[in-house]
Amino acid sequence: MFCIAAFIVLLFMAAISARYRKYLAKAWNCTFRRITFRPCDTTFKQDMKDHMLAPLAARRPGLVKPASIGLEVVAVLIILTTIWSGYEVVKSGVNLYVYGTCNKQDSASCSLGAEACSIPDQTPGFGDSLAAWDVVGAFGNEFASLGETFSAIPSRMQNWDATAYLPADATYLNPYDASKKTALEVVDPGCTYCSQLFQNIEEAGFGDTQNLSYIAYPIQSATGYKFPNSLMITEQLEALRLNRLEGATTPVDWQILKRIYADKNDAGVAWQAAINGMKSADASALIQGWELEFGLTQAQIDHVAEVAASDQVTQVIAANKKTVEESIHTVKIPTIIFDGRRHDGLVSVGDLG
Amino acid sequence: MHIFLPDAPGPDGVGVVKRAGLFGRGAAREASAPVDAASRLADFGYLEPREVYLDAACQSLRPQPVIDAVDEYYTSYNACGGRVKYAWGKRVDEEVAATRSAVLDRLGLSARSHAVSFTLNTTYGINLLLQQLPQGRFGRIVTSHAEHNSVFLPTMTAAKRLGLPRLVLDRAPDGALIFDPAQLERAVVVVNAASNIDGSTLTNLADLVRETHARGGIVILDAAQAMAHEHALLRGTDADAICFSAHKTYGASLGVIVTRLELLRSLEIGFVGGGMVTDVLEDSFDLVTDDPGALLEPGLQAWGEIIALGRALDWLGHVRPGGLSPRDHIESLSGRLFEGLSAIPGLVVLNHGASPVISVYAPKQDSHRLAVFLSQQHIMVRSGYFCAHHELKERLGLPPLLRFSLGLHSTSADIDRAHDALARLLKGLS
Repeated sequence: MFCIAAFIVLLFMAAISARYRKYLAKAWNCTFRRITFRPCDTTFKQDMKDHMLAPLAARRPGLVKPASIGLEVVAVLIILTTIWSGYEVVKSGVNLYVYGTCNKQDSASCSLGAEACSIPDQTPGFGDSLAAWDVVGAFGNEFASLGETFSAIPSRMQNWDATAYLPADATYLNPYDASKKTALEVVDPGCTYCSQLFQNIEEAGFGDTQNLSYIAYPIQSATGYKFPNSLMITEQLEALRLNRLEGATTPVDWQILKRIYADKNDAGVAWQAAINGMKSADASALIQGWELEFGLTQAQIDHVAEVAASDQVTQVIAANKKTVEESIHTVKIPTIIFDGRRHDGLVSVGDLG
Repeated sequence: MHIFLPDAPGPDGVGVVKRAGLFGRGAAREASAPVDAASRLADFGYLEPREVYLDAACQSLRPQPVIDAVDEYYTSYNACGGRVKYAWGKRVDEEVAATRSAVLDRLGLSARSHAVSFTLNTTYGINLLLQQLPQGRFGRIVTSHAEHNSVFLPTMTAAKRLGLPRLVLDRAPDGALIFDPAQLERAVVVVNAASNIDGSTLTNLADLVRETHARGGIVILDAAQAMAHEHALLRGTDADAICFSAHKTYGASLGVIVTRLELLRSLEIGFVGGGMVTDVLEDSFDLVTDDPGALLEPGLQAWGEIIALGRALDWLGHVRPGGLSPRDHIESLSGRLFEGLSAIPGLVVLNHGASPVISVYAPKQDSHRLAVFLSQQHIMVRSGYFCAHHELKERLGLPPLLRFSLGLHSTSADIDRAHDALARLLKGLS
């Protein structure tokens, strides 16, 4: 163990200083024999330990034995942490490739991927399971998650066609044009990155070049929904899709999304932020007020509210949820599919143009 | 050229030294006076007071006059010997001749019967002899178990080359070779005169040589450990060749072969080169006849080191550490070292008695580790098998050992420090 740990340490030291390279070669010879289950045929381990312990031996020889044991323990820890680090690097790399985040459980915490609101993984983490003395569960969940990631690699490499994931009652930002390609974004009305993406879409004129549709996906958390009013707004949006306003150039659901993502209230506060801080009843009343403004009659508004609370909408939202989690396989909101690729997280104006 | 001389005591009470401007034997004699309370010879004044060097069996520390002799050669008359007519070369020739003479003087031998050759070290000297022995003259090769690899290995290759059986004999606790005279029939006997494991000497050397000669054999001695402090054993010996290392005899790094002329002339010379021929034709050459020592000296020699050996032998001849002869001084220290090490609990001493070379081991501790730990305290001792793997590892099944070996630089304070440090280590580590 000691020579393997020494090899690991020397590997880094030799990278920055030539004086350690001769020791690195010795450590490698010893390590190679150990990992091939043969005894080390050099005195490298003994030499290293002796030289490390010599200053202690000169002052407190009685402490040499416990210190020697301590070195072995440290060596084991170095090896274990190195193996774990290597595993994490590989796992993070594959996660980054497949999901656009190095941390699948909390995608927003990974600075290597695009900014996004994460869809939290409800499965207990490795540390959480260990803390609960569930060792089998800790390793089981860890490797199940890794297996899931590896199994998703082919989907990452596929040619993404947004039309394959469109909801049944899809609406488009601009009137549908069969000569244009279709783009599909997965958004949460409360997610600030969805707001930024929408502003980028407008700036890039993306809606003019693509038939842009969306799936409203309210992100769930352990205690409910990440943004408390997202489910209510999603229900309203789905109900509006099912009850479209005749003659509207821009579907009312899109107008509501535009208002939430791009406009501010009289106090200069973005509507999204304001709604995220509202009580559900106030937010509902606000949305209904906007519906009136966008041309719906009070009777139509009442009907939309009725549909929004119906099983039909509940089933639509459940079907969309299944599409997002099991077909699109994203862990980041927003996600947008266009040009044959799935883009996880915020996309810049340049990449949309 | 410089020597160190005692000066006013330093802050730790130990005399400090400064360079003096003259070089010469007279000056060297003055410098031999003790320089500090622990009676370190001034000729080793360059040694830091805290440094305890106890590996003289590997190579002795060089006294300042020897260092000065090498320095003087390289800075004052750096010429080739044996082949030039200019003044520097003449001086080199004179100094080299003086060294050859000094070697013979120390051994009590005559240039009429023996020649002195210089080479790399004892190992190389023994190989030069064994690998050039004539085919058909000898019936066997005899050596002992307690030999350094410098003897043990060349006897194997020589036996194979000559197609002879190789007989490995035991040594008695006092170092005598245990043999049946019949085992010496036309034998090439190669043994050490003093062991590098425990310093035991070849106490029946005279009998061995007499019995071997009576049966048509020859005796080649490894005198590496004997030449410095046990040369009395070798004086006037009838052995056919004596090989030793100048670097274990207070000289610079150099090997020396003292060979009886009969043996020298019987060799089938195979290692040849410049300096050992009088004429060279297209397909033949004539070896020198008036300088038999040159037959083992192909090519240019280490002139500075040869000259330094002369200075070392001269220094050994007159140095009086603590007013004692070198042998008495070493004996005194050997007794102190042996008694001290024998009294340390948990330590096994291999020696049967006091010796300037003492090997020990602690069954529960690794000797290499102990050597590293002692080194941390500036105490330098040897660990391992000391190139005697067959005897120590294969035959006796011992773990690596620790070896303490004394030289004329050693002091009682050195021994006490080493003893105290080792005792403290073993107590703490147990």
